[in-house]
Amino acid sequence: MLDKIIEKSRIKSPWIYHVNAGSCNGCDIELIALLGPRFDVERFGVKLTGTPKHADIVFVTGPVTAQTKDRMLRVISQVPDPKVIVSLGSCPMSCNVFKGSYSVVGPLDKWVPVDVSIGGCPPKPEAMIDGLIKALDILKEKRGVK
Amino acid sequence: MKFPYIKEAVGNIFKNPVTEKYPFKKVELPEGFRGKIEFDETKCIGCGICIKVCAASAITKTVETTREGRKICMEFNMGSCTFCSFCSDFCPKSAIHLSNEYSMIKTADENNMIVKGSFINILPPKPQTAAAKAGEKKE
Amino acid sequence: MEVLKTLLQQMFYVLIFPGFLFCFIFGLFLSGIDRKMVARMQRRIGPPITQSFYDFFKLVGKDHIIPRKASKKAFLLAPVFGLISIVIISLFIPIFGFTFQESTADIIVILYLITIPALSLVFGGSSSGSAYASIGISREMVTMLSYELPLVMILLSIGKKAGAAINGNVTFSLADIGKYQSLYGIIISKWALIPAAIAFLLIIPAEVGTVPFDAAEAETEICEGPLVEYSGLYLGIYKLTQAVKMFIMGSLFLALFFGGSGFSNIFLNIILMIIGVIITIVISVSFVRSILGRLKVEQTLKFFWTVPTALSAISLILVYLKY
Repeated sequence: MLDKIIEKSRIKSPWIYHVNAGSCNGCDIELIALLGPRFDVERFGVKLTGTPKHADIVFVTGPVTAQTKDRMLRVISQVPDPKVIVSLGSCPMSCNVFKGSYSVVGPLDKWVPVDVSIGGCPPKPEAMIDGLIKALDILKEKRGVK
Repeated sequence: MKFPYIKEAVGNIFKNPVTEKYPFKKVELPEGFRGKIEFDETKCIGCGICIKVCAASAITKTVETTREGRKICMEFNMGSCTFCSFCSDFCPKSAIHLSNEYSMIKTADENNMIVKGSFINILPPKPQTAAAKAGEKKE
Repeated sequence: MEVLKTLLQQMFYVLIFPGFLFCFIFGLFLSGIDRKMVARMQRRIGPPITQSFYDFFKLVGKDHIIPRKASKKAFLLAPVFGLISIVIISLFIPIFGFTFQESTADIIVILYLITIPALSLVFGGSSSGSAYASIGISREMVTMLSYELPLVMILLSIGKKAGAAINGNVTFSLADIGKYQSLYGIIISKWALIPAAIAFLLIIPAEVGTVPFDAAEAETEICEGPLVEYSGLYLGIYKLTQAVKMFIMGSLFLALFFGGSGFSNIFLNIILMIIGVIITIVISVSFVRSILGRLKVEQTLKFFWTVPTALSAISLILVYLKY
């Protein structure tokens, strides 16, 4: 019975953490706008945490640059299971306008397994809410370490 | 110690919240919103101007010869598009139009980010040369 | 037979009401009500009131990671001590004349038990071996220093006021304060102690650890301070401790300033206490949280050693001059 309560609580309180792997900050600003009064995602139980060890869903923005690649991998490996990795914007999907640059090492799914990708440059906040709901569905399927 | 906004904070408890309840109520978009690309393949002529002006190199054109002519296939990768609408502004036949669709979500096992369109390009018959025409006229 | 009956009654008080179960449930509800009221004051729809329950059970189901540089036993035991000591305080606070544990020096026990959760935060933070945590614990220690001084002065002034009528000396027993209030009227109606009430309301956010006095933890500029390496069940215990502390501070405020006998029925008294604690927390924690920013730790120290100290010193002097 405790398992059923834990599974229901997992989708009702997702805590998010945000990693900027070299982005132009457009997607970051739209992500923080989600927590304001107009698109209040706190009604889904979402809270922005300050440390990756408290988070369930990780949002990654920006094409992965050579300088941030190691740090991004270290931060994402510290997120406890069960976790969902969401890539925000079209930069992590295919490096957008920065393709072929000397400092960009590739789309995000070369380095970490990505569960949900949200397209757009920058994505509209309503599209981010759609992506969040899809990430919650995927989180429901995953099992953590009990 | 100053306490700002006391009156507004107390008054706001009795007013309605201004949140747009998104998944339960649809949002309406202004006109001219640049969303997902809609490609009209009947108007395309395969000139390739959109490929030259695309900022993110997101358009590819593949040609294969079939029995009926040349089959030209244009692919627009939404995962790489930056929604600048240069392709739509420069297309001479207005075959590209940026629609109102803003929600493009891709999960790990499906790939719905590519907008494709293909058409068969039949070249007009070759005109006869002047010598062949002169030969016909003589006969 | 008598021994068995008192043993069962003591176990009921410790485990069910007002012990672990009631503290958990009411504390988590208070935390949810606080978040909802802050959201309404900012014109948003907030989370549902049961949100803190979902947070706690989600944390129970997550993996916990122990860093290699941490000292394991202190890291795992620190949150448990904080939770146990804050739940035990609830046995000493009377609910409108009905006491659970008679003793002659309640206030001294409460004073030292109420610093233990803050100390457990310091222990947990310093045993995790992280540089961010060490900044957080030094700020937490400064904050603890700053609010202890006005708290002691408020308790002394109320003790003197109540004790002067009963036996002439300062009384340290909450049961005696309750008896004084049922005979002579509630303490907040005596004008000499109104500055003490205002000072107590200013101390509640610092004890609970919310904005504007939370320079120690929950700060995104030092990655949440002492809690930076915690995850899973132990983080859930820290959040639960913070929620129960809200209930304890509200209930202490009611017992000190609005106590007395209330109604004669025990159930009506409990309902009155619940409503009173909710109103206290909304006024002193949620309202202040939604309109103010965060103070730096030097500003916190300067604020607490000037304004609440002056208010409670005024009350203390007026009480000693027999007003």
